[in-house]
Amino acid sequence: MTNGQPHVLLVDDEDMVITSIRAFLQLETEYEIHGYTNPQEAMRHLEMSPVDVVVSDYLMPKMNGIQLLAKAKEYQPEAARVLLTGHADKQSAIQAINKVGLYQYLEKPWDNSQLLLVINSAIERTQLLRNLREKVGELDEAHTNLKDVQTRLLRAFL
Amino acid sequence: MTPETDSPELELLTRKLADAHKMASLGRLSAGIVHEINSPIGSILSNNEVVLRSLAKLKRMLQEAQEQAGPVPRKAIDMVDSIASLSEVDRIACERISAIVRSLKTFARVNESDLRMVDVNELLRNTMKLTGAVFRGRITFETDLGELPEVECYPGLLNQVFLNLIVNAGQAIEEEGTIAVRTRAEGRLVAIDIADTGTGIPPEVRPLIFSAGFTTKPLGEGTGLGLTITREIVEDTHGGRISFDTEVGQGTTFHVLIPIEQPRSETNNRSSA
Repeated sequence: MTNGQPHVLLVDDEDMVITSIRAFLQLETEYEIHGYTNPQEAMRHLEMSPVDVVVSDYLMPKMNGIQLLAKAKEYQPEAARVLLTGHADKQSAIQAINKVGLYQYLEKPWDNSQLLLVINSAIERTQLLRNLREKVGELDEAHTNLKDVQTRLLRAFL
Repeated sequence: MTPETDSPELELLTRKLADAHKMASLGRLSAGIVHEINSPIGSILSNNEVVLRSLAKLKRMLQEAQEQAGPVPRKAIDMVDSIASLSEVDRIACERISAIVRSLKTFARVNESDLRMVDVNELLRNTMKLTGAVFRGRITFETDLGELPEVECYPGLLNQVFLNLIVNAGQAIEEEGTIAVRTRAEGRLVAIDIADTGTGIPPEVRPLIFSAGFTTKPLGEGTGLGLTITREIVEDTHGGRISFDTEVGQGTTFHVLIPIEQPRSETNNRSSA
């Protein structure tokens, strides 16, 4: 679970893209923004700290966006995954949707209000999923407790 | 090479074929170029919106401070810094777009029919810039560009030679690798080497690579004319030499030699169709 404000992870090998989106999100939201130009560093971030949404470029050195989002799915399955790509080919889109359970596929040049809408609903979805997981955990615990009580009751009366 | 190449009709056809091939290569490069341009455009559009909104907020802050005769809020100064840094990003983004457009322009001259004095290193840098956009993330360029005299040549055609050789080099590399581009002056010639760390050319294929119609690429990806046209441009049009060294699993190096001057008997103003 992330504490306080939602955490947004931005990954793009172009520093300018991160600077622009960061400036926009800082103006419009109170989100914690983490930006990486190196996907391998972003992967380490995902390994260590929880985030609510990952927005990744597709074409990057060493590791492409789909490979990174596949890692994100492995480390933090609940965090929503968004691909923001300038490389608009159908094959990468299909691969992204099928392989990494993409939340949204956005194309560059992006529209800020659309991006914000996607990030907001992605965060909401992630938090709902986390709440759901918590509730399921609580239910499991209650169920175990009930069973326990039942066993003790049975023992007491039989 | 062959006596037939002296025929003007055949030469015209060769030129037209070369142009068509160049356009096909550029078409294949376009996806990478689009990617290279979309990021800076996205940044500029976003920055413009953020700057306008920030200015509106800033104005409100300053008006409030003025009305209450209070100090300028700290946040207002931070906002000015943020606007300044976004303008700097815009400058870099515009430079990136202009650089791509400049390098594209050198390719777009379709029928460069006049001999011109050209900086070969500059042609190579343009080609690397364009192809770099396509190979990004996968291929690293290593350059060792020596000091060269200006070369008398048909720049559009030489561009195409470099584009063909570098695109081939990139395609020979299956995953990640390096393309080394070296130039040096050798007496009355300039030498250009383009070396890749790719799969190499199998021995049975080596005698065929300059033949028209021969390709190892899947249908739709190669015309089988790239190296044929490359050799014609280097040897027949410019009186140079092209050769290659290759080792399977190690890579291939193409060696191109171009004379600094074209023979004086050459007509400088060929008519183009």
